Amino acid sequence: MACSSNALWAGETTWFCCGAAWGPCGSAGGGACGNCASAANHGAWPNASQACWDITRPDLCGEGGIPRRGCGSVMNVTHQCSGATVCITITDCGPRTRSFCGEQSCCGGSCRINRVLDLTPAAFTAIGSLDSGVLPVLITE
Amino acid sequence: MFSLIATVSPLLLAGLLGWTGLAKLRSRSLLAQAGRTALPRLVRGPRRAAHVLRASGAAEVALAAALVAAPEATAPAVGTALIGVAFLVYLGAAKAVAPESSCGCTANDTQPVTWRSFARAGFVAGGGVVALGADEPWWSTLADRPLPALALLAAGATALAYLSGGPVAFRRLRLRLLGNPLSRDARSGGPHRVPVAASVELLERSLAWETVSPLIRSGLVEHWDEDGWRFLHYTGARGSEGGDRPVSVLFAMDATAHLDRPAGQAIRVSVVDQETEEVLPVTA
Amino acid sequence: MTPTRTSPARRSFLASAALGGATIVGASALGALDADAAFAAPAPSLDPAVTRTSFAEGRIGAVKGSVLHVAGSRGETHRIQLTNATSVWKARPTTADAIEVGDGLYARGVEMPDGAIAADAVWVNIVNLYTTIRGIQRDRLHLSHGGHELVARTIPETAASYAGGALTSDLSRLRIGQPAQVLGAWRPADNSIDLVRVTVGH
Repeated sequence: MACSSNALWAGETTWFCCGAAWGPCGSAGGGACGNCASAANHGAWPNASQACWDITRPDLCGEGGIPRRGCGSVMNVTHQCSGATVCITITDCGPRTRSFCGEQSCCGGSCRINRVLDLTPAAFTAIGSLDSGVLPVLITE
Repeated sequence: MFSLIATVSPLLLAGLLGWTGLAKLRSRSLLAQAGRTALPRLVRGPRRAAHVLRASGAAEVALAAALVAAPEATAPAVGTALIGVAFLVYLGAAKAVAPESSCGCTANDTQPVTWRSFARAGFVAGGGVVALGADEPWWSTLADRPLPALALLAAGATALAYLSGGPVAFRRLRLRLLGNPLSRDARSGGPHRVPVAASVELLERSLAWETVSPLIRSGLVEHWDEDGWRFLHYTGARGSEGGDRPVSVLFAMDATAHLDRPAGQAIRVSVVDQETEEVLPVTA
Repeated sequence: MTPTRTSPARRSFLASAALGGATIVGASALGALDADAAFAAPAPSLDPAVTRTSFAEGRIGAVKGSVLHVAGSRGETHRIQLTNATSVWKARPTTADAIEVGDGLYARGVEMPDGAIAADAVWVNIVNLYTTIRGIQRDRLHLSHGGHELVARTIPETAASYAGGALTSDLSRLRIGQPAQVLGAWRPADNSIDLVRVTVGH
């Protein structure tokens, strides 16, 4: 797998912090894979493992087909509106898709539904503004 | 005052014991619940522990009924004091042999034994003793002095709610009684303005944003409202023959527009060269 | 509330430029939901500025003029150069004057030959946390975050989104027990956060 252009999934991404960090993030730790770092282009995937899936439960929002992509998987994440792109490595489990079922972000007349990806601040700022909180993205691999 | 407390206390005790007793009797997962407590270790076996919990529930319900029906009788008050002491002894033993175990006090809680568990058991023991001093039944007191009696009941019930559910259940109860303190009127006093974040959200999902976002490098630099317009200022760079030139990207939008109000979503955009102040075409 | 970045005269000039600019009717919502169509659509023919950038993270150790000296969380150090084009976020869009020693920071910018980062945007103390609402008071929310208690103070900018709806200043529909994504500004002094945005589901 590489940061290629084969369609994987589409949806919303939010952001989170992990690894050594300041403030309330200090307790986050290295994530499900142990090596997650806010300053690296990392991401959290809702089906990083079965245990992860049991927490995120995207199937409860109709996203039951999200494939398993474990620690170290590489994905290309593209902002649907601007086309800005970042290549990330999966190092954690997330986001809690099931808590925000049906939420959507739209632009250019097309909408992305449900939180299916979490990015580190480094990766998120590469394609958008942290204070936006959530972005519509296309994910390829 | 003491007589007031003494006559009202059977009601509070009955409410508490009736609730915890019924919860234990009606629990479908009493065995599992018993397993989370220290009881299996204290009485040697989860089944016996479940029996103890059920017997305790039955005793609590019986005491609650007696306290309500015969508040002046000695037996229910003494029984309540004794069961309170028994709770205290159990909690002490539980804390000693299994500090992390659940209380089992209400049959569906999973919280460990805390100071609140002890305080509540102490309330039962002390309340039983106080109830011995009741010189008239609670219905007479409620009829004669309704206001102080009801106030005392409310205060006691609040304290018990806090002791039983902890701060979260207490806050939930307070919200239910007093309403949500974050209601529209309570906040900032002013008219219901559209938050700037809502304007930014609308902007970032607009065609205007899609058109010029390749130029934008900054986050939102500043914003201001004027004549019903909301202006949003970003900075960026536009490539030209002499290299990248710094530009300001200005958006003007209806100050009352947001994602859920589709009217007024027309957004005006312009790109201004920061040095020459020349207004540049939006698309190169 | 928001510090003024530009003089009233320049604001007035920028405002008239904006109003004289192109009008683009923003399409939003009610669009095609088909992801396949989105992948099949031609990629935007642009070279987004933000992807050629560098990123830095850490605590601010010193502010010298317009340069922030930042200690990265993994032991590295950064020099962050602020310019008059840099956007500064600290609970709201603000100016460099609001930045204090001890604040946490994320910065996006362009690395210069001397190793410093010329910042396009800095976000000071920003956090985005998955929490559960444990209490609601007139001026704050009590949250639990990863087993820790966290106090989130409401500020004039505080906005909420319910079940995917637009951001609103109406916070009255929040409930105790709800999972909530909370975007805010950490306050190093007392470890609470200023609540900027709270998002809850159904």
